[in-house]
Amino acid sequence: MKILIAIGGIDFSKPTLNMGMEIASAFEASSTIAYVGKKISQFSEKDVSVVHQSLDNRQLYRPGIRTLEWACNFLETKGYIDSNSSANFDDHLLIDEDNSRMKVLLKSKNSDNIDLILRTGEIIDQLRDEVFSNGHDITVVGGGKNKGIYHDLIEFIHSSILVVKNFSFNKKYKILLPINNTKGSKKATEMAIRLAQHYKTEIHIVYVKDKKEKDVVKSIETTSNQLSKLKIKNETFFLEGDPVKSITKFAKDDYIISLGVSNKNPIKNFFFGSKPISISKQCNCPVLLVK
Amino acid sequence: MNNSNQIILSSVLYWFSQKKWFVFSILIGIILLNLTTPVGLSIAAYHSLIILIMTFILVMTEPIPFPAIALLALVLQVILGVVSTEELSSTLMNDAVIFVMGSLMFAIAIIHQGLDIRLAEIILKIFGKSKRMLIAGLMLISSILSSFLGEHTVIALMLPIGLSMIKNLDTSNNDSKNAILLVLFSIAYGTIIGSIGTPSGGARNVIMINYLQEFSDIRIDYWNWIEHAYPILFVQLIVAYIVLQFAFPSTLKNIKLSGYKRDIKKRSIQENMSNLFALVIVLLVILSWFLLNEKFGLGIIAVSGALIFMLFGMINWETINKNTNWGVILLFASTISLGIQINETGASGWLVEKFNFLLAEFFAGSENMSWTFMAIISGITANFFTSSATVSLLGPMAIQLQPNDITFALSSAIASSFSFLTVISSPAAMIIYSTGLVNTKVFFRVGIMMFLSSILILYFMSKFYWIYL
Repeated sequence: MKILIAIGGIDFSKPTLNMGMEIASAFEASSTIAYVGKKISQFSEKDVSVVHQSLDNRQLYRPGIRTLEWACNFLETKGYIDSNSSANFDDHLLIDEDNSRMKVLLKSKNSDNIDLILRTGEIIDQLRDEVFSNGHDITVVGGGKNKGIYHDLIEFIHSSILVVKNFSFNKKYKILLPINNTKGSKKATEMAIRLAQHYKTEIHIVYVKDKKEKDVVKSIETTSNQLSKLKIKNETFFLEGDPVKSITKFAKDDYIISLGVSNKNPIKNFFFGSKPISISKQCNCPVLLVK
Repeated sequence: MNNSNQIILSSVLYWFSQKKWFVFSILIGIILLNLTTPVGLSIAAYHSLIILIMTFILVMTEPIPFPAIALLALVLQVILGVVSTEELSSTLMNDAVIFVMGSLMFAIAIIHQGLDIRLAEIILKIFGKSKRMLIAGLMLISSILSSFLGEHTVIALMLPIGLSMIKNLDTSNNDSKNAILLVLFSIAYGTIIGSIGTPSGGARNVIMINYLQEFSDIRIDYWNWIEHAYPILFVQLIVAYIVLQFAFPSTLKNIKLSGYKRDIKKRSIQENMSNLFALVIVLLVILSWFLLNEKFGLGIIAVSGALIFMLFGMINWETINKNTNWGVILLFASTISLGIQINETGASGWLVEKFNFLLAEFFAGSENMSWTFMAIISGITANFFTSSATVSLLGPMAIQLQPNDITFALSSAIASSFSFLTVISSPAAMIIYSTGLVNTKVFFRVGIMMFLSSILILYFMSKFYWIYL
């Protein structure tokens, strides 16, 4: 499994990086930490590239390198990267892989499972390209104020998406598993199990009553039995009303939500939205949107 | 919905979300083509204006690569009957396009020589006595160099010097944050302001000189341009220095150039000789622009500069090829060609007639109002469309407003350099923005003061100083 963790400024990327690495550890996945720099106008893109090369030569470093250095130090303190005590981040190599992508190679710090990447351009475009080229299974992003980005993240990036919102390091989270009769729900259950095993926590299954859906009770029972067999403590809650509002209200900031995304018509989603998009926009806790 | 259908639809939706402005420009083109041609315009002239509108939309929103925009504009000119293939070929390459190509290659050759260390040494020697002087020195040197070598060369040389001064400053502290912004803006504003100083300061200047030669009897050489523009440059520099001190008050206590002091000491004899030789080539090129521009044109001299660096093995073709923005060169070739067609077909004359008619309706045809509108339109358009592209498309109209007087054409070219409002408007603005230390809001907040004061300075200079030249 491969996980892509997108980080931005140092001030607000700590929860994203921390949770992303925990998920990578839970899934025994390799991870790519990517800093996406600002989009450059085509008029100036070569000029900017030349200036950034000059900055590297003078050890002043292009934007993003210091953020990756911070990420690297963070991973080192958490034990994800082995390092030589005398090692310095200044001993890095930048490998220009074209297509706005650069790989940072550290000469004396290493981990076979972690890549540091510098990208430049429009964020959705860059993450989409990264996932497409390298086959990442989960993309981890911070839940910023820009609500408009959620649709594009879910619709255009072909991996599961973990939106890290309001994540607290020391808090004991439970897993919330909204369920219905879709394939997405089954995949979300698999992810929820791995999260629950990693965090050693319980899973709360929720179902929002819908007249159109039949045999859901059977699915819920099957899921609950599956969890019990795995010795994961679980409980089921039946909610009523608007699914988005009910789930958001129920979750508060106490859960990590594992939510399946079904294969609906993207054109419909674009014009009318979808429940996963609305839940990820409105809730106040981390949401894993499973595809 | 099955998986493959969903992926196809999602890809279509993604393409549309990325290319919506391209689709919009094509729709606008189709709608305009189906409307009746306005009275007084030939079909070719009307079609040239449609291509102009489409090009504006595409360049401002960048939904497709610049080379694609350039090729689209060329193809449409022929398909829509604006110009024949033979005529199009003859307008595609001229001194302005050669200058854009030559100056971009020349810039890469200069930057590659590591002359920033030498520059840092000079700045420290002359301005190192106080930190305020150092900031003023950064601005002044950026500006003078940029007036000859262009923005993209100078910002690339000066930014490492500026960043080395603010390395390790704590950004959470307001005083330090202001110090960082003061250093970056001093370099950027110095570079932007300097680019009006001489014809070689920016492609827009060369494009306007070429248009003047093509569409009027007015000739302006390197010296004439300096006489007109350099005093404006100095007044703008003083205003910019004051504006920045007010916008970013700082004690500058942590500012220093220590990193470069170490680099200066480390220079070997071979590096010093190489720097000296590079400097000689640069000075020779500048001297040739002064003395030989009438005979050979500015473009050929710029190309010669890059050629000398290559011939002496001071830069290789791979480096130049990799770092030259060929897309921009193609785009300028295409927009200049379109600008010529807009003039040749009579479209610019028609637009100027309408513009004058509106002025007569509302402002009794005041020449001052005409100048003000023209300068503000040039300045604002350049902030969203870049200065050179603005002049290449609006230049013919500025000349048509006053075909026998240099004031309007020169003012339009100079106003196009007032790229103080948006970060996309000039290489200097984009490069300081790319550091991640400057945001668009701050750039606009300070830039609006500079933009308005620059228009005022240009107005007074053109009214009360140019008449004596």
